[in-house]
Amino acid sequence: MPISTRELKDVKQLIISIEERFDFSVHQKFREAYIQFEEPNTEFVLDLALTTYMDSSALGMILLLKDHAESLSGSVVIKNPSETVNKILEIAQFHRLLTIEN
Amino acid sequence: MGELLNNQDSKLALVVDDSQMQCMVLSALLKEEGYRVFTANDGAKGVSMYIEHKPDLVLMDINMPVMDGYEATRKIKSLSHNSLCPLIFITSMDTDKAYIESIEAGGDGILVRPFSPEVFKAKIKSIQRISDLYGQVKSLQQEQQKDAELAEQLMSGVIEARNFALDKIGIVKQAATLFSGDIQLTSLCPNGNVNVLLGDFTGHGLRSSIGAIPLAETFRAMTRKGFSLQEIVVQVNRQLYDLLPSDLFLGAAFVTVSEHDKSAYILNAGLPDVYIFGGDGNIKHKIESSHPPMGVLPQLIPNTNLTVLSVEKNDRIALISDGIVEARNEKGEMFEFERFEASAKLGVASKNMSEQVLGDVMSFCEGMPQEDDISLIDIPCGGWEEEQSANDNIVSSFKDNTVEPDNQLPSAWKWQLTLSGKRLARVNPIPMALSQISEIEGESEHWQNLYTILTELFVNALDHGILELSSKLKSSAEGFALYFKERESRLAKLDTGFVDIQLSYHPLEKGGRVIVYITDSGQGFDFETYRKNAVDTQHEKQFSGRGILVLEQLCESLVYRENGTVVEASYVWGS
Repeated sequence: MPISTRELKDVKQLIISIEERFDFSVHQKFREAYIQFEEPNTEFVLDLALTTYMDSSALGMILLLKDHAESLSGSVVIKNPSETVNKILEIAQFHRLLTIEN
Repeated sequence: MGELLNNQDSKLALVVDDSQMQCMVLSALLKEEGYRVFTANDGAKGVSMYIEHKPDLVLMDINMPVMDGYEATRKIKSLSHNSLCPLIFITSMDTDKAYIESIEAGGDGILVRPFSPEVFKAKIKSIQRISDLYGQVKSLQQEQQKDAELAEQLMSGVIEARNFALDKIGIVKQAATLFSGDIQLTSLCPNGNVNVLLGDFTGHGLRSSIGAIPLAETFRAMTRKGFSLQEIVVQVNRQLYDLLPSDLFLGAAFVTVSEHDKSAYILNAGLPDVYIFGGDGNIKHKIESSHPPMGVLPQLIPNTNLTVLSVEKNDRIALISDGIVEARNEKGEMFEFERFEASAKLGVASKNMSEQVLGDVMSFCEGMPQEDDISLIDIPCGGWEEEQSANDNIVSSFKDNTVEPDNQLPSAWKWQLTLSGKRLARVNPIPMALSQISEIEGESEHWQNLYTILTELFVNALDHGILELSSKLKSSAEGFALYFKERESRLAKLDTGFVDIQLSYHPLEKGGRVIVYITDSGQGFDFETYRKNAVDTQHEKQFSGRGILVLEQLCESLVYRENGTVVEASYVWGS
């Protein structure tokens, strides 16, 4: 399964993991992973440890997730991006928009 | 096909069977379902009737003389790869082999005799449903294709066709299979600088090009009106933020090349490194992305500054989108920066970077389908001034025809603006003054000269009068960058002083005269020495102070007074 979610209720986290390609082809699945989740103050953790490729439409999808999180007074944290993926986040200067933990 | 679909009654069926009896039975059933029916008694005739009538449905027997059903089916399917004409085998051979072979030949289903009329009709309905669905997908796909073509055409044919200096600036643009929103803009500033933008919109097709038209308009209009690159970036970001949905944005690199100042001003917001190559092809600078793409944030991140670098006239600035470095070959390897750098180096040496790089990327990919647009802009840092001096000559010839100044003539209008304190650092009055002139007097080629005069005088008043910067700073090789940095820091602290600008417009019998009067609150500066330095160093192509000489050439008269704190310039044109 390319996208999976895990909820950690005690720490108010929703962990979304993405395997292999994070691009427009998973657009719908990515949205479905979080859109029903409306718990206030949630930290949405985007676990990219298994993501091998990411394109600019994925950056757009992350911004939509950020909008969703902020509408719930929550936040988005990106975790474990590979070197390739991190390069793309860096070019887009996403560390200025949200937290990235390597 | 559309026509037939609109009229359900006129659907056509072709029955291919060597038994007259079978043909009659099947025809009767089909007619009850609203089909018009043609029949053929062998495979070969079936194929020719298929070509002639283009039916919506084919029923095919297997064993027939001349050409059997499998062969006829293969022929028909090879003729109809663009549209789905469902084909059903009707047979009494109830074997696995018959079933498998009929599907492999291209059949969409098989119906084994005997069957009841109800089963036959149900089969026809189900196959028709699939074919309708196929039709819908096909037309959606065509629509999408048309959208993508429209987007590409819009971008290259309409927007980029208006680019400036396509003969000097090398541009590569190779749209992906599905056009993916790269945009390339070049435009000439009134003072002869050149503004360039390479942008990469997120997404594909038409969706990725919604922002293109407003972006191009803003970029061109602001460049033409003389706004600084920083101001253009601020506006582009705000505009795209307001206009585009959250997940759509523009990775972009902005560049101003000023041959006059031997400088390049660069902001990279979300693109791969911008390169500056020396004339020998070695990399002098890489400017990495320092800001999120345009349209992500409502405002630029505070203290976002352009990178200012000194450049030589043989230097080349290269802008690329990620399509180049991410282009893949059959093994899945990417072209990467290393290959790009090697290729660009060769390209600089052979004076054709764009072709060299495109050629190398293409031969690397060996015909693999291109996933993303491939874009490169190769900008020369010199060679622009010749065009400028051609303009200067035209101006001089106007001067020769000039009548003597006649101050008795009343002005048609006056315009005045005083900027003080912090606003001096924040507001650029030149576009305001120019838009005032063109709003009242209409567009004219002479406003470009006025722009140069106004800019030069205002910048002198601000830099030397108010900020007390010494133009000597500019004389060293890295000087201009230093000067610019110092200027930025003094501007940031500025909270006193003023600059006053007055324009008066005097129509003449032929043409007219504009008098520019600028006063500043500074201590003044040694205008004579400044001018003398400019004349002395002119032949060494030292650009500091060169502005004064251009002014003297452009203006009918240019007088500094009050220790250099007041300047009056008069510009006249003949027709």
